[in-house]
Amino acid sequence: MAQHTTTTRLLTPLLSSFRSLVLSSETTASATIPKTMATSTRSFSSTPNLAARAKQAKTSDPRVNLIRYHMQHPKTPRPLKFSRMRALRHWTIHRAWMLARRKATEAQEAELIRMHQSMHRACEELRNFDAPGKKDSGRLYRIAMEKKGIFGHGGVPIEYARPQTDTPAREAWNHGWTR
Amino acid sequence: MALQELPSALRQLTIKHIGQRARCQTPIARRYASGEATAAAPSETPISEDLQDLEPASSFTTKFSREAVKDYDPVKRAKDRKYQLPASRYQYRSPRYYRGPLHPHQPPPTSDPASREFIPGPFSHNRLEQTWQSTISQDIMTLGYVHKPPGTVDPVKSERLRTWDDSSPYHKNRPKRGPRGPEGVLRLIEKDITPHNIPKITGVTVHSMVKGAIDDSAHLHVAGMVLQAVTGVRPKVHRAKRGLAQFGLRERMPISLTCQFRGNQAYDFVDKCISLVFPKIKDWEGVVGTTGDSSGNIAFGFNREGAMLFPEIEINYDMYPPKMIPGFHVVIHTSAASDRHARLLLSSMGVPFTGKLVD
Repeated sequence: MAQHTTTTRLLTPLLSSFRSLVLSSETTASATIPKTMATSTRSFSSTPNLAARAKQAKTSDPRVNLIRYHMQHPKTPRPLKFSRMRALRHWTIHRAWMLARRKATEAQEAELIRMHQSMHRACEELRNFDAPGKKDSGRLYRIAMEKKGIFGHGGVPIEYARPQTDTPAREAWNHGWTR
Repeated sequence: MALQELPSALRQLTIKHIGQRARCQTPIARRYASGEATAAAPSETPISEDLQDLEPASSFTTKFSREAVKDYDPVKRAKDRKYQLPASRYQYRSPRYYRGPLHPHQPPPTSDPASREFIPGPFSHNRLEQTWQSTISQDIMTLGYVHKPPGTVDPVKSERLRTWDDSSPYHKNRPKRGPRGPEGVLRLIEKDITPHNIPKITGVTVHSMVKGAIDDSAHLHVAGMVLQAVTGVRPKVHRAKRGLAQFGLRERMPISLTCQFRGNQAYDFVDKCISLVFPKIKDWEGVVGTTGDSSGNIAFGFNREGAMLFPEIEINYDMYPPKMIPGFHVVIHTSAASDRHARLLLSSMGVPFTGKLVD
């Protein structure tokens, strides 16, 4: 029981009331005596029983009180107050981070554009490969331009989706994988 | 806040010699016609009563001495100071309410730590976003590449907002008509996938309509706690627009919750769904293929069992009252303009789709 008292001191009062309620309910569950006795007084009207049943349905669960208490927290935290040097350091780091992000984004965009241009050049070469007028000239180009089934089922196989991680997985590939 | 005083302080630090400014004898003055006119002939024209309050000479014509300017050395003054100046009693506090763009007190940008909406920056990269940047975007661009030979002339398309033919004189300056059809709505045009038009996730909306809130508001509180735990965003409560007697709904009764978030949080949530929750759902074929609003936003939902599979709920699900944990809908907003592009993006991230695919 000493352990119980130390934990209750640390927890919030509501949580402690919940814990004590749970503990007490475990002990008293077996000791409940059925209300309705076999003999004697049966009440005239059933309304007080119905009212009691309705009240029981809306018993305040301590977990609900706990959730309500914690949901009441104000939405925004207290605004920070930085000293002059601390603010200067934040400003410098923020600008450096913005610059680094911008450079990274621009590098990625440039890389995508470079790839797109390379694909364009390759397709142009393929288009002009065969001399015009011959039988079935431009066949490879037409095959390359096909877009069959990319938007339907299996356009991108489900095995393709593996998010990149810093370190490899313990099981690099599940060789027993089946569709 | 200290950051507000910085610009002027920095300007003083960057100016090396104040004296260099006043090198030229003639002051740096801007010429303007009215000043020159009054300077040229002040006595000839009688000055009106309104202008008599003005000073006769322009302040730009004043000459200042170089010695006085040389004596001003704030760096030396600061260095000679033996003790630190006491902290000023003024404490900057950002305005609590936004009172419009013309108000003298404007709120600082959200990146400024003095702002009330400052959230400390990203502390880790999101692996789904990194995967998209390095692998998925390039592969989608390659998959959807359409070759346009140089010199192709695009076919002339009919105008989307139809103008009036000038058959009647009243057609002049009349506003354009909407598109044809019973709805008459302008749809998004699906454009080819180019380096600037690769579909990506822009945001996520999580929504839950709590029927139990009609009888007991505790259901709404519990649902709010569940959504906050799962998304990390404080949900917004919505009230019923009109009452329905069949369900016991009254107008302006709080009934549903939504959470909207974008950026890193959105990628985090989608990654959690794909890698943690979807694999655990029993007998789950995939997201229904008919999902989508024809504009590139894909939606799916979780019932109570699905919601309990989220790690934030699974770890302490007995802290929630029984049968009060709600299910919720999830809408993933993408920059795609059509459903098939959005499905392409999400299937490359690992979302399976089943059944008939409808755009």
